[in-house]
Amino acid sequence: MSADTTGFWTPVALSADLPSGTVIPARTRAGSIALWRSDSGRVAASADRCPHRGMRLSYGFVRGESLSCIYHGWSYTQTGNCLRIPAHPGLTPPDTIRVATHLVEEADGVIWVAVGEPVHPPPKLEGLVALRSLTMHADVTTIEAASGAKSDETGLIKATQQSETMWLLLSEQEQGHTLVHVLLDGENTLGDRISASRGVESLRRCAEDLQARRSRDG
Amino acid sequence: MAKEAMLDEWYPVGLFSQVKTTAYKTALMGEPIEVSVGADGNAIVTTSGGRVLSSRVRYGHVWSSIGDPQKEIFSIPEADQPGRRFVDVGVVRVRCSPLRAVENFLDIAHFPFVHTDILGAEPHTEVQNYKVEIRDVEDEVWATQVKFYQPQAAKSASGGITTEYMYRVPAPTCSVLYKTCPPRPSEWDVITLFVQPLAEDLCDVWPWMALFDDETSMTDLIHFQQTIFLQDRSILENQIPRLLPLDPGMEIPTRADLTSVAYRRWLKRHNYTYGAQLVAQ
Amino acid sequence: MRLYDYILSPSCYKVRLMAALTGQSLDIRPVDFHPGGEHRKAELLALNPAGSIPILEDGDLLLTESSAMLVYLARKAAPEWLGDGTAEQSARLQQWLSFSHRLTANLGGARLHEMLLRPGDIALLQAQGVAALRELEAGLVEQDLRGMPFLASDRPTVADIACFPYVALAPDGGVSLDPYPAIRRWSRAIRALDNFIEMPGIHRLHELKPEPQIGTGEE
Repeated sequence: MSADTTGFWTPVALSADLPSGTVIPARTRAGSIALWRSDSGRVAASADRCPHRGMRLSYGFVRGESLSCIYHGWSYTQTGNCLRIPAHPGLTPPDTIRVATHLVEEADGVIWVAVGEPVHPPPKLEGLVALRSLTMHADVTTIEAASGAKSDETGLIKATQQSETMWLLLSEQEQGHTLVHVLLDGENTLGDRISASRGVESLRRCAEDLQARRSRDG
Repeated sequence: MAKEAMLDEWYPVGLFSQVKTTAYKTALMGEPIEVSVGADGNAIVTTSGGRVLSSRVRYGHVWSSIGDPQKEIFSIPEADQPGRRFVDVGVVRVRCSPLRAVENFLDIAHFPFVHTDILGAEPHTEVQNYKVEIRDVEDEVWATQVKFYQPQAAKSASGGITTEYMYRVPAPTCSVLYKTCPPRPSEWDVITLFVQPLAEDLCDVWPWMALFDDETSMTDLIHFQQTIFLQDRSILENQIPRLLPLDPGMEIPTRADLTSVAYRRWLKRHNYTYGAQLVAQ
Repeated sequence: MRLYDYILSPSCYKVRLMAALTGQSLDIRPVDFHPGGEHRKAELLALNPAGSIPILEDGDLLLTESSAMLVYLARKAAPEWLGDGTAEQSARLQQWLSFSHRLTANLGGARLHEMLLRPGDIALLQAQGVAALRELEAGLVEQDLRGMPFLASDRPTVADIACFPYVALAPDGGVSLDPYPAIRRWSRAIRALDNFIEMPGIHRLHELKPEPQIGTGEE
């Protein structure tokens, strides 16, 4: 991963897992995010907390270009301003009511959220196609050990499971868990993709067994 | 320190109709307690260590305290009116601050979004001004002249009506709601939330009602109220921070939130801070 | 058709949901499961000695397994919910119907413990729940790779209805749904179906209704 001191990019989700008009929970090292895509297709990352009564915005709903909180329907723009408070339909909400937002980049089927202000864009994933994301109850070191490979300069691990080659893009979560995005080389059949999906499930079992043994043995 | 002011309050610890001779194990503010019924039919509440605690039976529930209550349990005169049906709704556990549970009960702006097509519906989201005060004599929070349009306000309502409400907080983790009673428009239906604080972020909620309704079955009345509360539960378990902030800064109220603002001010005044946080982050 | 029903029971909800989706009406007989324990008293034990709900009665047909009720409702009025009848689809359907019973035990058991204070080994139930959700996620990922948004087919079947409620309510039992993108997509697809009905704990998808217009004179 690029050694930016002003900030860095975290791969939080796959594009295919964020359809238009939806919001999902995501995480960066800076905390919880409500990651959402407006009806027109634009992605935004808002802090996962409505400033009204602290409800998680990732439980909310997207209408048009705004994200609304499920509790009282307060709605926010992609830049974080509060647009509407349904209990007071005639009121223009003051600028002081806002949610923090984070920089977002979407490329090659992966969505990245910035922590701080990175100087460089997220790494390119040339020729790779995103397959799925899954969470492993293992840390990055353990996953590297289980796959027998370390991350390259892009932050990708090349893993081989049952003769399927796949690329893993890792994102540390809390409590020693890791979010793993699985990517494949461009040319593959349905059969290849299903094998790869099952292969990464095997890798997860292996990594989690290893992690459990490491935790037990101290 | 957070606990002290609330130690001397009365809290619900069980349904009287379900208490047995064998102990029901529960807790109050982190202290394990046991609830049972004696040979004489009276409720007995003790700590797990055997210390006998004060107890009362009121509004269908057993109440107790791990401290030394200076007052009797608050009164609800409507509960003594002939013709009322009493509904023991049953306990629901929620992973939230007991104070957050009460505050949610006091709120109406969430009706169209959380209790959709029952207690409220878009576009009828506006909350008209209402009156809030902290009554000095009783030392209780009261909200009156609260109005909201509801598609199906009660099991006894045949269609949409503008419901009138009054809210009352007579104890830090209890609230009483008075609402328009469709079969008897000059009376109020009484719906209560009695909250048992197990820990600062865990509580058992015991809703109870005293209604004028001769038509609806008891099970339907129970199910209606459980529906409403279960719709709130996933909200309550996802508010951040878990503890209720009593200092301004973290959360932003509007005019629709006057009852909750008064509640938070009253809690702070009394140092009722079990389940609350004081320093704004 | 009479359904002995508890509003907070995900298994009863499977039947209510299936009836709503297929346009069939049910005569609901509410059961005071909590706090009354009515399902374990004489009247209902006479119908179902296992002491469980839902119970579905239609003439002299008495059903006590929710999967059977779903199949009955489908066969009666909406056979497209049973798949295309091929060996493969029938097998997938049956696989997930059987799987759904495990969810009642693990996710359902965790929910009853955390919410309604029923006894149980909560750590074990939650761990089993996570394992089940991972199985479901893997299955849905593969279906998605095949271009099919539902468990057994490109359209919803009784298999989806059998699995949906306990999955959607997993957070009630302290099991988060955050780590499962395929389950999230599938859950949304079910909630967006015509004639979908909610149960307490499953919110309405407000985005399906456009922003109401203010100032049009109403209220």
